[in-house]
Amino acid sequence: MNHEAIKELLYKMADDQLILGHRNSEWTGFGPLLEEDIAFSSMAQDKIGHSLALYTILHELGEQDPDTIAFTRNADQFHNTVFTELPNAEYDFSLIRHFLYDTSEALRFEILSQSSFEPLAQLAIKVRGELRYHTMHANTWIKQLGSATEESISKLQKSLEYALPYALGLFEPSLYESKLINEKVFEGEKALEEKWKKKVEEVIAQTQLQLPNWKTLTPHYGGRIGKHSEHLQPLLDEMSEVLRIDPTAEW
Amino acid sequence: MYGGGNIFDEIKPDDVAGEDSIKLAEFEARIDRGEKIEPTDWMPKLYRKQLIRMIEQHAHSEIIGALPEGTWITRAPGFKRKMALMAKVQDEVGHGQLLYSAAETLGKSREQMIDDLINGKSKYSNVFNYPTFTWADCCFISWLVDAGAIVNQLANAKGSYGPYCRALERICAEESFHLKYGHHCVIYLASGTQKQRDMFQEAIYRWWPPMMHFFGPSDKISVHTEILMKWKVKMDTNDNMRNQFLDMYVPKIWELGFTIPDPKLKKNTATGRWEYTEPDWDEFKRVINGGGPCNKERLEVRRIAEERGRWVREALRAPKTEYITPLA
Amino acid sequence: MKSLDPRVNRLPLTGNTSPKVLLDQFGTFEVFVQAKAGKPFQHEGVVHAPNLEMSYLLAKETFTRRFTCVSIYVVDTRNVHVSVLTEDEDNAYNHVTEVASSGNKVSFEIFHLFKRGKQHQHAGTVEASNPNEALWLASKQLKTEKQVFNIWAIHTDDIRFTHQDDLDLWHTLPDKKFRDAAAYKGGDKLKSFLEELKK
Repeated sequence: MNHEAIKELLYKMADDQLILGHRNSEWTGFGPLLEEDIAFSSMAQDKIGHSLALYTILHELGEQDPDTIAFTRNADQFHNTVFTELPNAEYDFSLIRHFLYDTSEALRFEILSQSSFEPLAQLAIKVRGELRYHTMHANTWIKQLGSATEESISKLQKSLEYALPYALGLFEPSLYESKLINEKVFEGEKALEEKWKKKVEEVIAQTQLQLPNWKTLTPHYGGRIGKHSEHLQPLLDEMSEVLRIDPTAEW
Repeated sequence: MYGGGNIFDEIKPDDVAGEDSIKLAEFEARIDRGEKIEPTDWMPKLYRKQLIRMIEQHAHSEIIGALPEGTWITRAPGFKRKMALMAKVQDEVGHGQLLYSAAETLGKSREQMIDDLINGKSKYSNVFNYPTFTWADCCFISWLVDAGAIVNQLANAKGSYGPYCRALERICAEESFHLKYGHHCVIYLASGTQKQRDMFQEAIYRWWPPMMHFFGPSDKISVHTEILMKWKVKMDTNDNMRNQFLDMYVPKIWELGFTIPDPKLKKNTATGRWEYTEPDWDEFKRVINGGGPCNKERLEVRRIAEERGRWVREALRAPKTEYITPLA
Repeated sequence: MKSLDPRVNRLPLTGNTSPKVLLDQFGTFEVFVQAKAGKPFQHEGVVHAPNLEMSYLLAKETFTRRFTCVSIYVVDTRNVHVSVLTEDEDNAYNHVTEVASSGNKVSFEIFHLFKRGKQHQHAGTVEASNPNEALWLASKQLKTEKQVFNIWAIHTDDIRFTHQDDLDLWHTLPDKKFRDAAAYKGGDKLKSFLEELKK
């Protein structure tokens, strides 16, 4: 089995989860209503948990330990999409990102539950219930706010249009697509993207939101090969601020 | 996380004078039998009023208490700390949710309580008006402020009001993780590098005075609360709870080789009580009344959070539902 | 506002310092949790939500993120029929009177409060034409030796249950050790450190 290909897949998944989990955790204590504050925080914790599980698999493949990988790399060594590193802005954008990202995540893990790479298949099966809640949460909120008031519909619409090119960056093809497909590790980004579009269309159709024609959108690529926005390095500096006081100390 | 004990009104004899004496006797007999009071029971106006204030202050303390530790939520060092701190701060929000619901059973809506908080009409624990300069300050709160809160909450969980007791039982069960996590963080700082030890020692210097304030003014200067003790609203005196906290935690702090900034602090082996320098109660009053280092920021952050969430709540307001007091 | 919290420094300044406007509070929904398979559902508290579906979504993390759980359900507080509340040795069933059946029978879930200060627990289901009849039938079918202080009757169709497909929502709960006190054992580290200190 091609370890470089698998590592690339693991890194991009793990980095997405870590960076978005970190972003979403910024809402804890600042949410729009108490119960939602709690729910959103749980899902952020799940994402950090998933990234830890993925970094642990990487560690078993010979990479450094999860804390070192997560807390000591620079921005250009990260493989997350630019989508996940964008600042939270207001709740409409955070919700739209949660919906677009978690839909892709749930589908990606669903595909991976059939993977020939056993550790990933096992993880995918394990987190199925968590992801079911994440998509249930996202879909319910999008359906509610996407059909509520003029204000909520227009806020969501604006965020949706802003987010979509970045979201398409989730499916940036890697150098290893054919290897992963041939070795039955993963169906490939193209297949995932098609499934994702169908699912997004299905949910948006139940709201008063409008999806632009996919053909008019240019995906924002680059994150997978370390080309990031100006937002990632400050995020990483902040995340590692305490650890960097003494990286050799135990905290 | 709430130290309680602090801001009861002065009680005047006529506060209870107008009550129906038969109903009052039945109410008191129920409490004496050890039975809890439930929301649909008859209760004296004073009981209802003081309970709303106490539970509301407790709920606000959880919501505001999420902020000083939340200050470090994006900077917790390593996966283990990061996930734990996220879960812990989330729990504080969750405790606020439980406590608001308990207070609501007495007839005040959550929305009204949050409005009173933001508009400065309600109080919350003064300990959260202090800043967390370093990670070690955050660890101090996780371990010792939580420990203090648990002393208070375990006592209050034996109180007379059913919904408050139910909420507190749940909260105490959840907080066992907070306390262990906090102690774990501190053990790592204590046994770590000199820099780490210094960080925690400095945190103790900063946080000891607010920690001593946490249980409220000394019994010598507190308003008289005998009737609230009799009705099992207030379960123990401020000084007793402070003493219990000192008894449990001072040895643990000393054990780690840290200094507590009070030369008079020692246990009187004859009385079993702790002796200490009288905390500065003028400072306590100043902070409670808005003069602490972070009062303004804490309320401003809550105000901004409400303001930013307003469109969400307005969009979701549905004509088919109506606000109704929770059952239990 | 210059804060020690980087998140606060990123908050947009609304510039609005006027007092917060009082919004109408959402509706109230009662939440019931089943901790283990075979155990009765128990009332755990409320959430505020704009509708039943949202209340389910919000109840899940508010009430079941920490301790073992296999299922939950929620109901609008307005749909809970409440009996008298008794005290001392008076059983709530003593106050339930016979009600004649009137029309179609539907299912009602019955809950008992065994002790003041504790939670209502699911006792069983009865088929009745109205809530008062449900209480009467419960007194015949579900009353036991144990004293009951309060009874709730809820029309089964008013409850948002967990769907059969969604039972894996709580699947990873036991693995979330970072929320568990047992994951923070510092004893060994403390011991070796204290020995070091003594030297």
